[in-house]
Amino acid sequence: MKLSYLFLLLFFAILLEGCDDIIHPTLQSADPVYIVDAFINNKLDTQVVRLTYSQPYLEQQLPPGVSGAIVTIADNEGNTFAFLENASRKGDYIWVPSGTGFGKVGNHYTLNVKINLESFISRSKMGRVPVIDSITFRNGDRNSGNVDFNLGQFWAIDPAGPGDTYWIKAFKNGVLLSKPQEMNLAYDAAFSKGSNFDGFTFIQPIRNGINPFDTDANDRPISPYQPGDSVYVEIHSLTEASFNFLTQVAIETNRPGGFSELFARPLANVSSNIFNENLQGAKVQGFFNVGSVSGLGKRFVK
Amino acid sequence: MLKKILFIFVLSLLTHLASQAQTKNTLNGYIKDASNGEALIGATVFNNELGIGTTTNVYGFYSITLPAGNYALEFSYIGYTPIHQTIELNKTVRLDIELLSSAKELQEVVVTAEKEERKAVSNEMSTNKLDMSTIRKIPAFLGEVDVIKSLQMLPGVSTVGEGASGFNVRGGSVGQNLVLLDEAPVYNASHLLGFFSVFNPDAVKDVKLYKGAVPAKYGGRISSILDVRMKEGNSKKFEVAGGIGTIFSRISVEGPLIKNKASFIVAARRSYIDVLARPFVKSLQQGAGLNFYDLTMKANYNISQRDRVYVSSYFGRDNFLFDRNQGFSWGNATGTLRWNHIFNQRLFANLTGVYSNYDYHLKFGENSNDRFTWNSSIANYIFKPELTYFIDSKNELSFGAEAIYYTFNPANATSVSNGESSDISLDRKYNFESALYLGNSQKIGKILSVDYGLRFSNFNYFGPGTTYSYNDTIPGTRKAVTGETTHAKGESIAAYHNWEPRASFKAQLTPNSSVKGSYNRMAQYLHLISNTTASNPLDVWNPSTNNIRPEIGNQFTFGYFRSLGKETQYEISVEGYYRRTQNQIDYIDGADLLLNRYLEGDLLGGVGRAYGIEFYGQKKTGRLNGWISYTLGHTELKVDGINRNNWYSTRYDQRHNLKVAAFYDLTKRWSVSANFVFVSGTPTTFPTSRYVIRGMLIPYNANDSRNNVRLPSYNRLDISFRLEGKRFRKGKERKNHSYWVFSAYNVYARKNPFSIYFSQVDQRTPAGQPIPSQASQLSIIGTIVPAISYNFKF
Repeated sequence: MKLSYLFLLLFFAILLEGCDDIIHPTLQSADPVYIVDAFINNKLDTQVVRLTYSQPYLEQQLPPGVSGAIVTIADNEGNTFAFLENASRKGDYIWVPSGTGFGKVGNHYTLNVKINLESFISRSKMGRVPVIDSITFRNGDRNSGNVDFNLGQFWAIDPAGPGDTYWIKAFKNGVLLSKPQEMNLAYDAAFSKGSNFDGFTFIQPIRNGINPFDTDANDRPISPYQPGDSVYVEIHSLTEASFNFLTQVAIETNRPGGFSELFARPLANVSSNIFNENLQGAKVQGFFNVGSVSGLGKRFVK
Repeated sequence: MLKKILFIFVLSLLTHLASQAQTKNTLNGYIKDASNGEALIGATVFNNELGIGTTTNVYGFYSITLPAGNYALEFSYIGYTPIHQTIELNKTVRLDIELLSSAKELQEVVVTAEKEERKAVSNEMSTNKLDMSTIRKIPAFLGEVDVIKSLQMLPGVSTVGEGASGFNVRGGSVGQNLVLLDEAPVYNASHLLGFFSVFNPDAVKDVKLYKGAVPAKYGGRISSILDVRMKEGNSKKFEVAGGIGTIFSRISVEGPLIKNKASFIVAARRSYIDVLARPFVKSLQQGAGLNFYDLTMKANYNISQRDRVYVSSYFGRDNFLFDRNQGFSWGNATGTLRWNHIFNQRLFANLTGVYSNYDYHLKFGENSNDRFTWNSSIANYIFKPELTYFIDSKNELSFGAEAIYYTFNPANATSVSNGESSDISLDRKYNFESALYLGNSQKIGKILSVDYGLRFSNFNYFGPGTTYSYNDTIPGTRKAVTGETTHAKGESIAAYHNWEPRASFKAQLTPNSSVKGSYNRMAQYLHLISNTTASNPLDVWNPSTNNIRPEIGNQFTFGYFRSLGKETQYEISVEGYYRRTQNQIDYIDGADLLLNRYLEGDLLGGVGRAYGIEFYGQKKTGRLNGWISYTLGHTELKVDGINRNNWYSTRYDQRHNLKVAAFYDLTKRWSVSANFVFVSGTPTTFPTSRYVIRGMLIPYNANDSRNNVRLPSYNRLDISFRLEGKRFRKGKERKNHSYWVFSAYNVYARKNPFSIYFSQVDQRTPAGQPIPSQASQLSIIGTIVPAISYNFKF
């Protein structure tokens, strides 16, 4: 349940506003750890496993890539896919599909990353995704009183059988909606395992989760979509572990400040499904997921 | 240990009964306020020659049994003119006394020093009593007099920050305080999340906080008991009081139903910002709502010399509606029925029946095809007979029982998506809690007094319902469900019981100084499930189950108390405490606490410890009066799966906590109050590192620690000026009484930190560019908040 925004609204309403100031605290230093970013899917794009180091939290630089690793993904049918180091970007290990995308729904995959005598391992399973039936737009004022507010909505039905988990990504005019509050996750057709919402049309907050709520230079809300804008929606399948991981990422990264801080949770490390085969070996964090993808796009015309 | 206590207990009882041979007579009755008939709680009856006496109970009743003879007695109460009377006690004497408020009698600038209640003499320790006149004087946020915010000026009481609901006592969590309003438990004592509390100051008579040395008659929470008693209502004349503040307007009416026999009070408050804003805000005209209100009522009837009944009720709600179909609301409703019966001059009984309900409702969805509704409630029915047997001037025996039936309805919820509806409700839970207690307050010689007692509590979780069993996994990660059991109606699913011994002593070193110590053990069967910084109205209370064990708290206290100065106007005390707690609840990272049938798989259990020392100095009378309180404390938890299984400080751990409250009468009409708070920074968790997965900047603490850093310290000064209305007009005394309060909260506009949080800058960073990160410090109220209120009474 994403209630924090409700509380926020509530306080704006009574004209009490907390104040947030940017500060520059000194953080405890820590040794870098290996980070494996391995979200692989069956799209016909180049598939990338990124190997980097963690960096100090307030360091405003690209994470340092780690070269020299051997990266492979093996499936349960005896195939091994080699991810080769990309000469043009340090730390990227790539696999380029030829004709068909990576993997098969239902198959199990094992990732192995060998670097400097360390061997990192992880497992995943490619889940299924529903097709997106349609995308619609509607004129909704969302209580803003603004008649020019156009909201997009995608329509899809979660397949019967509990436990499907998804990451719904939306691109407005080709740009991924990547703000922390724009992360749109689904457990079956709703938010969480406890919701008991299997086999339904995705619930409205998820269907609506493809809208960017941005403001203009004067802090006035702008319509998510205007005539001529396009939206592309993708549903990526997740494992339940990946779903839990991304749920935690959303909690840790979505910190809008203000009164929502009253109901913030203590900062905690998100989970990792990458393990060093040697328990005494170097520390590693990250996530491996192999997902299938469905997608649909639409241009908004008035 | 337990057997020993029981043995001593029985032995001492037998000793008293044996010593009853000599002819003794009993003096008993009620002590009341002469002006309005309100019972005075804790008023004293004292004989100076023998140094013996007693105090009135919460209903204003006293009873003292002495050998036949003549006694010069003093009946007194703080702020009231004492009455001296010689009683010929050759038979049972019933004597009801009415004391006159000295403030009313002498409208002088200097508060006269009457015989004060002295902590150094009283048996109690680790308790704080706030009377409403003091609470009214404390400068309040937005000028709204607030019981719970006032408590935070006392030693040993803290909070996670402004706007947070509830309070923390001696290192306990918010959910470990039992908040009672006329004996009805209040599950959420806040309006507007945590900014105001639900108690209407016009209807409250007495507020007492037990931080330790809790008498055996109280149980159910391990940290503290906040006992709020409502006024009975003026039994002599009609009175209307009210006020217009920044947030609330208030009105109360009280008066006799039958003069001196029956009276009532009705008090209501409502926030009115929505009323004022309605003409300007379109959404308010279209069904949006934003208000909170409460209604407090009480009536009592003196059936006879021996019987008196009270009925009291509270109803309050907070409503936040975005439009007609969307929004949420929450509130408490309580009802208390009490019957005081004097069986004989020495046996006082009170029978209480309580109904209390807390519920919240959420509804979202712009149309009937896509909507979500969620209702949740906790209802309880309480039956509580309590008896006090005033054995003699040295012993006061109290015993009784408590039975509580709970119905938990965590979620009655429906979600509709594209016209298809799904019932996502969770099972109701049915529980029965019961307790028996026995306690004695005994004076041994002139120096020593002891209080000892035992409470036996019992808790039952019974069907119908479905329970789950979970696997053992790596601590700190979600436990998987391994089994599911369906239970029939009435079937016992889990049962717990606990022996809760309570003991305290006082050694009167000199007439003005004493040493006190106590031990108590408390059990708590209900748990507030909350993993956010401040608890919120949707936090779910969960009973103990097959997977959640009752929380247990043990506390030792030791203190020195002394009264000083002319007429003992100064009072100082030093108290140390040490608490150990078991079965404390914490949460896995990423825990899903709402609408989750597998909630128990996300809970962790651990132990806690808290210790501290509280210094308190009070000047009770004079033009300048007030107090200074300083607490040096520490509170920690140790939970497998958090902080690498090491001890960690809780979010409300405050090393230094200094509070100063001062009241000064400038002239006959003007008075000024100020309070100052200095609190050392509370713990928080900072990341060490960052990393990027799929373009998301993830904070990382390489040491996997919890609460590894302290926020900057907090300090604040509030001031308020009070202007009394003229008492005389054209030489005649005015019938009505009014006053203005001008207050300023956070006078020097300090941006006190509530939290420091880390986030990526709010933008969509193109691939190939570093994601900017930042640290922000939040102040909930980073500015001076002025307020005016007008209050009247006629």
